[in-house]
Amino acid sequence: MPPRIRSSNCPPQQLLLNYLDAPLPSSLLPLHRSSAPSSSSPSCRSQQTSPQCQQQTSSFSTSQPREMTKPQREFRAFLKRMGKQFEKHEGNGPKYLCQVHQPKVDNVPFPSNKSFKSEPVLSSRARQTIWEAVMLKGMPLKAVSAQYQVDMRRVAAVVRLMEIEKRMERENAAMAIPYAQAVEKMLPRANLDSSEEEPFEPINDVHVHSFTMQQLFVPVSESREFTRKDAAKAFGDHILPPDHKMRIPELVDMEKAILNGIPQEKAEQEFLKQTRESERRFAESQKYVAAKKDAKKSKVDTERFEFRIENFNSEAVGKKGRARNAVGWRYGVPFNDRQRGLYKIPTSVG
Amino acid sequence: MVVKIRLARFGRTNSPFYNIVVAHARTARNSRPLEVIGTYDPIPKKDTYDESGRLHKDIKLDITRAKYWIGVGAQPTETATRLLSMVGIVDPKHQKTPPRKSTPKKEKVVTVEA
Repeated sequence: MPPRIRSSNCPPQQLLLNYLDAPLPSSLLPLHRSSAPSSSSPSCRSQQTSPQCQQQTSSFSTSQPREMTKPQREFRAFLKRMGKQFEKHEGNGPKYLCQVHQPKVDNVPFPSNKSFKSEPVLSSRARQTIWEAVMLKGMPLKAVSAQYQVDMRRVAAVVRLMEIEKRMERENAAMAIPYAQAVEKMLPRANLDSSEEEPFEPINDVHVHSFTMQQLFVPVSESREFTRKDAAKAFGDHILPPDHKMRIPELVDMEKAILNGIPQEKAEQEFLKQTRESERRFAESQKYVAAKKDAKKSKVDTERFEFRIENFNSEAVGKKGRARNAVGWRYGVPFNDRQRGLYKIPTSVG
Repeated sequence: MVVKIRLARFGRTNSPFYNIVVAHARTARNSRPLEVIGTYDPIPKKDTYDESGRLHKDIKLDITRAKYWIGVGAQPTETATRLLSMVGIVDPKHQKTPPRKSTPKKEKVVTVEA
Protein backbone atom coordinates (compact mmCIF):
# COMPACT_ATOMS: atom_id res chain seq x y z
CA MET A 1 0.00 0.00 0.00
CA PRO A 2 1.34 3.47 -0.82
CA PRO A 3 1.57 5.87 2.12
CA ARG A 4 -1.50 8.00 2.52
CA ILE A 5 -1.53 11.74 3.12
CA ARG A 6 -3.80 12.61 5.95
CA SER A 7 -6.69 14.67 4.78
CA SER A 8 -6.44 17.26 7.56
CA ASN A 9 -2.89 18.18 6.49
CA CYS A 10 -3.42 18.37 2.76
CA PRO A 11 -6.94 18.46 1.34
CA PRO A 12 -7.12 17.14 -2.26
CA GLN A 13 -8.66 20.32 -3.63
CA GLN A 14 -5.74 22.30 -2.34
CA LEU A 15 -3.41 19.95 -4.18
CA LEU A 16 -5.17 20.63 -7.44
CA LEU A 17 -5.13 24.37 -6.98
CA ASN A 18 -1.44 24.30 -6.18
CA TYR A 19 -0.82 22.32 -9.31
CA LEU A 20 -2.83 24.74 -11.44
CA ASP A 21 -1.16 27.82 -10.01
CA ALA A 22 2.37 26.58 -10.61
CA PRO A 23 3.73 27.92 -13.93
CA LEU A 24 4.31 25.14 -16.44
CA PRO A 25 7.65 24.84 -18.21
CA SER A 26 7.35 26.06 -21.78
CA SER A 27 8.22 22.66 -23.24
CA LEU A 28 5.15 21.12 -21.57
CA LEU A 29 2.75 23.77 -22.79
CA PRO A 30 0.43 22.58 -25.54
CA LEU A 31 0.71 24.46 -28.80
CA HIS A 32 -2.69 26.09 -28.71
CA ARG A 33 -1.87 27.87 -25.49
CA SER A 34 0.10 30.52 -27.33
CA SER A 35 -2.89 31.56 -29.44
CA ALA A 36 -5.97 30.95 -27.30
CA PRO A 37 -6.26 31.49 -23.56
CA SER A 38 -7.03 28.21 -21.83
CA SER A 39 -9.56 27.83 -19.07
CA SER A 40 -6.86 26.77 -16.68
CA SER A 41 -4.82 29.94 -17.18
CA PRO A 42 -5.17 32.50 -14.40
CA SER A 43 -6.81 35.02 -16.73
CA CYS A 44 -9.63 32.61 -17.45
CA ARG A 45 -10.05 31.48 -13.91
CA SER A 46 -10.46 35.05 -12.75
CA GLN A 47 -13.56 35.37 -14.94
CA GLN A 48 -14.98 31.92 -14.41
CA THR A 49 -18.50 33.25 -14.45
CA SER A 50 -18.36 33.86 -18.20
CA PRO A 51 -20.37 31.06 -19.91
CA GLN A 52 -17.96 30.69 -22.84
CA CYS A 53 -15.12 29.80 -20.57
CA GLN A 54 -17.19 27.16 -18.76
CA GLN A 55 -18.45 25.67 -21.95
CA GLN A 56 -15.02 25.15 -23.45
CA THR A 57 -13.54 22.84 -20.86
CA SER A 58 -14.35 21.24 -17.58
CA SER A 59 -12.86 22.83 -14.51
CA PHE A 60 -10.28 20.08 -14.13
CA SER A 61 -9.24 19.80 -17.77
CA THR A 62 -6.23 21.59 -19.13
CA SER A 63 -6.86 20.78 -22.78
CA GLN A 64 -9.15 22.46 -25.25
CA PRO A 65 -12.17 20.57 -26.55
CA ARG A 66 -11.71 19.06 -29.94
CA GLU A 67 -13.35 20.90 -32.77
CA MET A 68 -16.20 19.13 -34.54
CA THR A 69 -15.51 17.93 -38.06
CA LYS A 70 -17.69 19.09 -40.93
CA PRO A 71 -19.75 15.89 -41.12
CA GLN A 72 -20.27 16.03 -37.37
CA ARG A 73 -21.47 19.64 -37.60
CA GLU A 74 -23.77 18.81 -40.47
CA PHE A 75 -25.16 15.83 -38.60
CA ARG A 76 -25.90 17.99 -35.56
CA ALA A 77 -27.66 20.49 -37.81
CA PHE A 78 -29.66 17.67 -39.42
CA LEU A 79 -30.74 16.40 -36.02
CA LYS A 80 -31.96 19.86 -35.09
CA ARG A 81 -33.99 20.40 -38.23
CA MET A 82 -35.11 17.48 -40.37
CA GLY A 83 -34.01 14.75 -38.00
CA LYS A 84 -36.34 16.01 -35.30
CA GLN A 85 -39.18 13.86 -36.66
CA PHE A 86 -37.10 10.69 -36.35
CA GLU A 87 -36.32 11.26 -32.69
CA LYS A 88 -39.37 9.35 -31.51
CA HIS A 89 -41.12 6.69 -33.52
CA GLU A 90 -44.76 7.49 -34.10
CA GLY A 91 -47.45 5.68 -35.98
CA ASN A 92 -47.70 2.09 -37.04
CA GLY A 93 -45.10 0.90 -39.49
CA PRO A 94 -41.66 1.92 -40.57
CA LYS A 95 -40.52 5.48 -41.10
CA TYR A 96 -37.65 5.79 -43.53
CA LEU A 97 -35.56 8.76 -44.58
CA CYS A 98 -36.88 8.50 -48.13
CA GLN A 99 -40.42 9.17 -46.97
CA VAL A 100 -39.55 12.78 -46.09
CA HIS A 101 -39.22 13.72 -49.75
CA GLN A 102 -41.27 10.95 -51.37
CA PRO A 103 -44.12 9.99 -49.07
CA LYS A 104 -45.36 7.34 -51.51
CA VAL A 105 -42.19 5.27 -51.39
CA ASP A 106 -42.54 3.19 -48.28
CA ASN A 107 -40.08 0.34 -48.43
CA VAL A 108 -36.75 1.97 -49.29
CA PRO A 109 -34.76 2.46 -46.09
CA PHE A 110 -31.55 3.82 -47.64
CA PRO A 111 -31.94 6.91 -49.87
CA SER A 112 -28.70 6.27 -51.75
CA ASN A 113 -29.53 2.64 -52.42
CA LYS A 114 -32.86 2.70 -54.21
CA SER A 115 -32.68 -0.92 -55.27
CA PHE A 116 -32.69 -2.18 -51.70
CA LYS A 117 -36.25 -2.85 -50.60
CA SER A 118 -37.12 -3.87 -47.07
CA GLU A 119 -39.22 -7.01 -46.92
CA PRO A 120 -42.08 -7.44 -44.47
CA VAL A 121 -41.78 -9.77 -41.49
CA LEU A 122 -44.55 -11.92 -40.01
CA SER A 123 -46.50 -9.91 -37.45
CA SER A 124 -47.21 -11.36 -34.04
CA ARG A 125 -50.81 -11.88 -35.10
CA ALA A 126 -49.69 -13.82 -38.17
CA ARG A 127 -47.42 -15.97 -36.04
CA GLN A 128 -50.29 -16.70 -33.68
CA THR A 129 -52.48 -17.65 -36.66
CA ILE A 130 -49.86 -20.09 -37.94
CA TRP A 131 -49.34 -21.60 -34.50
CA GLU A 132 -53.08 -22.09 -34.01
CA ALA A 133 -53.44 -23.71 -37.41
CA VAL A 134 -50.68 -26.22 -36.68
CA MET A 135 -51.00 -26.88 -32.96
CA LEU A 136 -54.71 -26.38 -32.28
CA LYS A 137 -56.35 -27.33 -35.57
CA GLY A 138 -53.70 -29.97 -36.34
CA MET A 139 -53.24 -28.97 -39.96
CA PRO A 140 -50.18 -30.44 -41.71
CA LEU A 141 -47.29 -27.99 -42.20
CA LYS A 142 -47.52 -28.27 -45.97
CA ALA A 143 -51.18 -27.29 -45.93
CA VAL A 144 -50.52 -24.31 -43.65
CA SER A 145 -47.67 -23.28 -45.92
CA ALA A 146 -49.94 -23.48 -48.96
CA GLN A 147 -52.81 -21.65 -47.31
CA TYR A 148 -50.85 -18.66 -46.07
CA GLN A 149 -48.15 -18.67 -48.76
CA VAL A 150 -45.37 -18.93 -46.22
CA ASP A 151 -42.35 -21.17 -46.78
CA MET A 152 -42.62 -24.53 -45.04
CA ARG A 153 -39.35 -24.02 -43.18
CA ARG A 154 -40.59 -20.67 -41.91
CA VAL A 155 -43.84 -22.27 -40.73
CA ALA A 156 -41.83 -24.87 -38.81
CA ALA A 157 -39.59 -22.18 -37.31
CA VAL A 158 -42.59 -20.10 -36.24
CA VAL A 159 -44.15 -23.10 -34.49
CA ARG A 160 -40.89 -23.96 -32.72
CA LEU A 161 -40.32 -20.40 -31.50
CA MET A 162 -43.95 -19.93 -30.45
CA GLU A 163 -43.72 -23.15 -28.45
CA ILE A 164 -40.64 -21.81 -26.66
CA GLU A 165 -42.44 -18.52 -26.02
CA LYS A 166 -45.47 -20.30 -24.59
CA ARG A 167 -43.28 -22.45 -22.39
CA MET A 168 -41.55 -19.33 -21.04
CA GLU A 169 -44.97 -17.86 -20.33
CA ARG A 170 -45.95 -20.97 -18.40
CA GLU A 171 -42.72 -20.82 -16.41
CA ASN A 172 -43.27 -17.11 -15.68
CA ALA A 173 -39.88 -16.33 -17.20
CA ALA A 174 -38.88 -12.68 -17.66
CA MET A 175 -39.78 -11.58 -21.18
CA ALA A 176 -39.04 -8.32 -23.00
CA ILE A 177 -42.53 -7.88 -24.43
CA PRO A 178 -42.64 -4.05 -24.52
CA TYR A 179 -39.35 -4.11 -26.38
CA ALA A 180 -40.64 -6.67 -28.88
CA GLN A 181 -43.78 -4.63 -29.43
CA ALA A 182 -41.80 -1.43 -29.94
CA VAL A 183 -39.51 -3.07 -32.49
CA GLU A 184 -42.45 -4.68 -34.27
CA LYS A 185 -44.09 -1.29 -34.67
CA MET A 186 -41.07 -0.01 -36.57
CA LEU A 187 -41.02 -2.87 -39.08
CA PRO A 188 -43.02 -3.48 -42.24
CA ARG A 189 -45.08 -6.56 -41.53
CA ALA A 190 -47.53 -9.00 -43.04
CA ASN A 191 -50.64 -10.07 -41.16
CA LEU A 192 -51.49 -12.91 -43.55
CA ASP A 193 -55.05 -11.60 -43.85
CA SER A 194 -57.19 -12.43 -46.81
CA SER A 195 -57.12 -8.71 -47.64
CA GLU A 196 -53.45 -8.92 -48.63
CA GLU A 197 -53.30 -9.56 -52.34
CA GLU A 198 -49.63 -10.39 -52.76
CA PRO A 199 -48.41 -13.69 -51.38
CA PHE A 200 -45.94 -13.41 -48.52
CA GLU A 201 -43.24 -15.37 -50.35
CA PRO A 202 -42.89 -18.06 -53.01
CA ILE A 203 -43.36 -21.47 -51.40
CA ASN A 204 -42.67 -24.01 -54.07
CA ASP A 205 -39.44 -22.79 -55.65
CA VAL A 206 -37.16 -25.44 -57.06
CA HIS A 207 -33.50 -25.26 -56.20
CA VAL A 208 -31.33 -25.03 -59.32
CA HIS A 209 -28.27 -27.24 -59.06
CA SER A 210 -25.14 -25.77 -60.63
CA PHE A 211 -24.68 -28.96 -62.66
CA THR A 212 -27.88 -28.20 -64.53
CA MET A 213 -26.73 -24.73 -65.55
CA GLN A 214 -24.51 -26.05 -68.32
CA GLN A 215 -25.51 -26.68 -71.89
CA LEU A 216 -25.57 -30.35 -72.71
CA PHE A 217 -26.01 -32.21 -75.98
CA VAL A 218 -27.39 -35.69 -75.53
CA PRO A 219 -28.14 -37.78 -78.63
CA VAL A 220 -31.54 -39.38 -78.24
CA SER A 221 -33.42 -41.46 -80.74
CA GLU A 222 -36.55 -39.83 -82.07
CA SER A 223 -38.79 -42.67 -81.01
CA ARG A 224 -37.71 -42.44 -77.39
CA GLU A 225 -39.69 -40.50 -74.84
CA PHE A 226 -37.27 -38.13 -73.13
CA THR A 227 -38.69 -37.03 -69.75
CA ARG A 228 -37.47 -34.72 -67.02
CA LYS A 229 -36.15 -37.75 -65.19
CA ASP A 230 -33.96 -38.61 -68.17
CA ALA A 231 -32.78 -35.01 -68.41
CA ALA A 232 -31.81 -35.01 -64.74
CA LYS A 233 -29.90 -38.25 -65.22
CA ALA A 234 -28.09 -36.77 -68.21
CA PHE A 235 -26.75 -33.99 -65.97
CA GLY A 236 -25.52 -36.40 -63.34
CA ASP A 237 -26.53 -39.52 -61.47
CA HIS A 238 -27.24 -37.63 -58.25
CA ILE A 239 -29.31 -34.89 -59.89
CA LEU A 240 -33.00 -35.09 -59.02
CA PRO A 241 -35.73 -34.18 -61.48
CA PRO A 242 -37.60 -30.96 -60.52
CA ASP A 243 -40.71 -32.94 -59.56
CA HIS A 244 -38.72 -34.55 -56.74
CA LYS A 245 -37.09 -31.31 -55.64
CA MET A 246 -40.37 -29.52 -54.96
CA ARG A 247 -41.21 -28.89 -51.34
CA ILE A 248 -44.95 -29.44 -51.82
CA PRO A 249 -45.46 -31.71 -54.85
CA GLU A 250 -49.01 -32.34 -53.62
CA LEU A 251 -49.91 -28.82 -54.79
CA VAL A 252 -49.11 -29.85 -58.37
CA ASP A 253 -51.29 -32.94 -58.02
CA MET A 254 -54.14 -30.75 -56.81
CA GLU A 255 -53.84 -28.38 -59.75
CA LYS A 256 -53.72 -31.33 -62.14
CA ALA A 257 -56.87 -32.77 -60.58
CA ILE A 258 -58.70 -29.47 -60.94
CA LEU A 259 -57.65 -29.28 -64.60
CA ASN A 260 -59.03 -32.79 -65.10
CA GLY A 261 -62.45 -31.61 -64.01
CA ILE A 262 -62.50 -32.66 -60.37
CA PRO A 263 -64.33 -30.05 -58.27
CA GLN A 264 -62.06 -27.76 -56.26
CA GLU A 265 -63.40 -28.77 -52.85
CA LYS A 266 -62.80 -32.41 -53.53
CA ALA A 267 -59.30 -31.69 -54.84
CA GLU A 268 -58.53 -29.68 -51.71
CA GLN A 269 -59.74 -32.52 -49.52
CA GLU A 270 -57.47 -34.86 -51.41
CA PHE A 271 -54.57 -32.40 -50.99
CA LEU A 272 -55.13 -32.29 -47.22
CA LYS A 273 -55.25 -36.07 -47.10
CA GLN A 274 -52.03 -36.43 -49.11
CA THR A 275 -50.10 -33.85 -47.08
CA ARG A 276 -51.23 -35.42 -43.82
CA GLU A 277 -50.11 -38.80 -45.08
CA SER A 278 -46.70 -37.50 -46.21
CA GLU A 279 -46.20 -35.78 -42.85
CA ARG A 280 -47.07 -38.98 -41.00
CA ARG A 281 -44.58 -40.93 -43.10
CA PHE A 282 -41.87 -38.34 -42.44
CA ALA A 283 -42.55 -38.36 -38.69
CA GLU A 284 -42.40 -42.14 -38.67
CA SER A 285 -39.07 -42.23 -40.48
CA GLN A 286 -37.67 -39.64 -38.03
CA LYS A 287 -38.92 -41.70 -35.12
CA TYR A 288 -37.33 -44.82 -36.57
CA VAL A 289 -33.97 -43.07 -36.94
CA ALA A 290 -34.17 -41.70 -33.39
CA ALA A 291 -35.14 -45.08 -31.97
CA LYS A 292 -32.29 -46.77 -33.82
CA LYS A 293 -29.85 -44.22 -32.43
CA ASP A 294 -31.33 -44.63 -28.97
CA ALA A 295 -31.05 -48.41 -29.05
CA LYS A 296 -27.26 -48.11 -29.31
CA LYS A 297 -27.14 -46.40 -25.95
CA SER A 298 -27.45 -48.06 -22.58
CA LYS A 299 -28.97 -45.83 -19.95
CA VAL A 300 -28.02 -45.82 -16.30
CA ASP A 301 -30.26 -43.88 -13.99
CA THR A 302 -28.71 -42.34 -10.94
CA GLU A 303 -30.42 -40.08 -8.46
CA ARG A 304 -29.27 -36.89 -10.14
CA PHE A 305 -28.60 -37.70 -13.77
CA GLU A 306 -29.23 -40.24 -16.43
CA PHE A 307 -25.97 -41.49 -17.94
CA ARG A 308 -26.30 -42.41 -21.61
CA ILE A 309 -23.50 -44.68 -22.64
CA GLU A 310 -22.95 -45.22 -26.33
CA ASN A 311 -20.85 -48.12 -27.46
CA PHE A 312 -18.56 -47.50 -30.41
CA ASN A 313 -15.50 -48.84 -32.14
CA SER A 314 -12.46 -46.90 -30.96
CA GLU A 315 -10.18 -48.57 -33.47
CA ALA A 316 -11.72 -46.76 -36.44
CA VAL A 317 -9.34 -43.84 -36.17
CA GLY A 318 -7.74 -43.99 -39.59
CA LYS A 319 -4.22 -44.84 -40.67
CA LYS A 320 -2.53 -42.20 -38.56
CA GLY A 321 -5.02 -42.23 -35.73
CA ARG A 322 -6.22 -38.77 -36.64
CA ALA A 323 -9.42 -39.47 -38.57
CA ARG A 324 -11.84 -36.55 -38.51
CA ASN A 325 -14.71 -38.59 -37.13
CA ALA A 326 -12.59 -40.47 -34.60
CA VAL A 327 -13.86 -40.26 -31.07
CA GLY A 328 -12.66 -37.69 -28.58
CA TRP A 329 -10.48 -34.64 -28.62
CA ARG A 330 -7.71 -35.16 -31.15
CA TYR A 331 -4.04 -35.06 -30.30
CA GLY A 332 -1.55 -32.94 -32.21
CA VAL A 333 -4.25 -31.27 -34.28
CA PRO A 334 -5.32 -27.65 -33.77
CA PHE A 335 -8.90 -27.24 -32.67
CA ASN A 336 -10.25 -24.31 -34.63
CA ASP A 337 -13.26 -23.50 -32.53
CA ARG A 338 -12.02 -19.99 -31.86
CA GLN A 339 -10.44 -19.23 -35.19
CA ARG A 340 -11.81 -16.21 -36.95
CA GLY A 341 -13.54 -16.42 -40.28
CA LEU A 342 -15.07 -19.85 -39.77
CA TYR A 343 -18.79 -20.42 -39.53
CA LYS A 344 -19.64 -21.77 -36.11
CA ILE A 345 -23.37 -21.24 -36.24
CA PRO A 346 -25.14 -24.60 -36.28
CA THR A 347 -26.83 -25.28 -39.58
CA SER A 348 -29.41 -27.74 -38.31
CA VAL A 349 -31.90 -27.84 -35.50
CA GLY A 350 -31.43 -30.73 -33.10
CA MET B 1 5.18 -49.20 -15.73
CA VAL B 2 1.60 -49.22 -14.53
CA VAL B 3 -1.02 -48.74 -17.20
CA LYS B 4 -3.99 -46.69 -16.10
CA ILE B 5 -7.44 -46.02 -17.45
CA ARG B 6 -8.04 -42.38 -16.64
CA LEU B 7 -9.56 -39.14 -17.85
CA ALA B 8 -7.72 -36.46 -19.83
CA ARG B 9 -9.28 -33.03 -19.53
CA PHE B 10 -9.89 -31.11 -22.73
CA GLY B 11 -12.46 -28.47 -23.53
CA ARG B 12 -12.27 -24.88 -22.43
CA THR B 13 -12.47 -22.84 -19.25
CA ASN B 14 -15.72 -23.72 -17.51
CA SER B 15 -16.67 -26.24 -20.18
CA PRO B 16 -14.70 -29.41 -19.52
CA PHE B 17 -14.71 -32.41 -21.80
CA TYR B 18 -12.83 -35.59 -21.06
CA ASN B 19 -11.21 -38.28 -23.16
CA ILE B 20 -11.27 -41.66 -21.45
CA VAL B 21 -7.75 -42.86 -22.17
CA VAL B 22 -5.41 -45.76 -21.53
CA ALA B 23 -1.98 -44.38 -20.66
CA HIS B 24 1.14 -45.07 -18.64
CA ALA B 25 0.67 -43.85 -15.12
CA ARG B 26 3.66 -41.51 -15.08
CA THR B 27 2.94 -39.61 -18.29
CA ALA B 28 1.40 -36.14 -18.31
CA ARG B 29 -2.35 -35.81 -18.17
CA ASN B 30 -2.90 -34.60 -21.73
CA SER B 31 0.03 -36.32 -23.42
CA ARG B 32 -0.62 -38.71 -26.26
CA PRO B 33 -2.06 -41.85 -24.64
CA LEU B 34 -1.74 -45.48 -25.66
CA GLU B 35 -5.34 -45.39 -26.77
CA VAL B 36 -8.45 -43.27 -26.53
CA ILE B 37 -11.29 -45.59 -25.59
CA GLY B 38 -14.05 -43.08 -25.04
CA THR B 39 -15.24 -39.65 -24.06
CA TYR B 40 -17.13 -38.23 -21.12
CA ASP B 41 -19.06 -34.98 -21.26
CA PRO B 42 -19.62 -33.98 -17.62
CA ILE B 43 -21.95 -31.07 -18.37
CA PRO B 44 -25.53 -32.20 -17.77
CA LYS B 45 -27.95 -31.52 -20.59
CA LYS B 46 -31.68 -31.42 -21.13
CA ASP B 47 -33.49 -33.10 -23.97
CA THR B 48 -34.69 -30.52 -26.47
CA TYR B 49 -38.39 -31.18 -26.28
CA ASP B 50 -38.57 -32.76 -22.86
CA GLU B 51 -40.28 -30.50 -20.36
CA SER B 52 -39.66 -32.66 -17.31
CA GLY B 53 -36.29 -30.97 -16.82
CA ARG B 54 -34.51 -34.30 -16.30
CA LEU B 55 -30.79 -33.97 -16.98
CA HIS B 56 -28.55 -36.46 -18.73
CA LYS B 57 -24.83 -36.89 -19.35
CA ASP B 58 -23.30 -38.43 -22.45
CA ILE B 59 -20.59 -41.05 -22.41
CA LYS B 60 -19.03 -42.80 -25.39
CA LEU B 61 -17.12 -45.94 -24.62
CA ASP B 62 -15.58 -48.79 -26.58
CA ILE B 63 -16.70 -51.52 -24.23
CA THR B 64 -14.67 -54.27 -25.93
CA ARG B 65 -11.41 -52.35 -25.63
CA ALA B 66 -12.20 -51.33 -22.05
CA LYS B 67 -12.75 -54.98 -21.14
CA TYR B 68 -9.50 -55.96 -22.86
CA TRP B 69 -7.45 -53.36 -20.98
CA ILE B 70 -8.99 -54.35 -17.65
CA GLY B 71 -8.23 -57.98 -18.54
CA VAL B 72 -4.52 -57.27 -19.05
CA GLY B 73 -4.26 -55.42 -15.76
CA ALA B 74 -4.86 -51.75 -16.49
CA GLN B 75 -5.90 -49.93 -13.34
CA PRO B 76 -8.84 -47.58 -13.63
CA THR B 77 -8.74 -44.47 -11.48
CA GLU B 78 -11.58 -43.79 -9.09
CA THR B 79 -13.54 -41.70 -11.60
CA ALA B 80 -12.88 -44.18 -14.39
CA THR B 81 -14.06 -46.98 -12.11
CA ARG B 82 -17.29 -45.10 -11.53
CA LEU B 83 -17.88 -44.77 -15.29
CA LEU B 84 -16.80 -48.33 -16.16
CA SER B 85 -18.92 -49.82 -13.41
CA MET B 86 -22.02 -48.39 -15.05
CA VAL B 87 -21.69 -50.89 -17.90
CA GLY B 88 -20.57 -53.69 -15.60
CA ILE B 89 -16.92 -53.85 -16.68
CA VAL B 90 -15.66 -53.48 -13.12
CA ASP B 91 -17.32 -53.72 -9.75
CA PRO B 92 -18.39 -50.40 -8.32
CA LYS B 93 -16.24 -49.13 -5.48
CA HIS B 94 -19.16 -47.95 -3.45
CA GLN B 95 -22.26 -50.05 -3.51
CA LYS B 96 -25.52 -48.85 -2.28
CA THR B 97 -26.66 -51.24 0.34
CA PRO B 98 -29.81 -50.75 2.30
CA PRO B 99 -29.12 -49.89 5.95
CA ARG B 100 -29.12 -52.88 8.23
CA LYS B 101 -32.31 -53.26 10.10
CA SER B 102 -31.77 -53.35 13.82
CA THR B 103 -33.65 -56.21 15.36
CA PRO B 104 -35.46 -55.21 18.49
CA LYS B 105 -33.85 -56.72 21.54
CA LYS B 106 -35.84 -59.24 23.37
CA GLU B 107 -36.89 -57.96 26.72
CA LYS B 108 -35.87 -60.05 29.60
CA VAL B 109 -38.74 -61.44 31.45
CA VAL B 110 -38.23 -60.84 35.05
CA THR B 111 -40.31 -62.82 37.33
CA VAL B 112 -40.66 -61.51 40.73
CA GLU B 113 -41.43 -64.01 43.26
CA ALA B 114 -43.53 -62.89 46.02
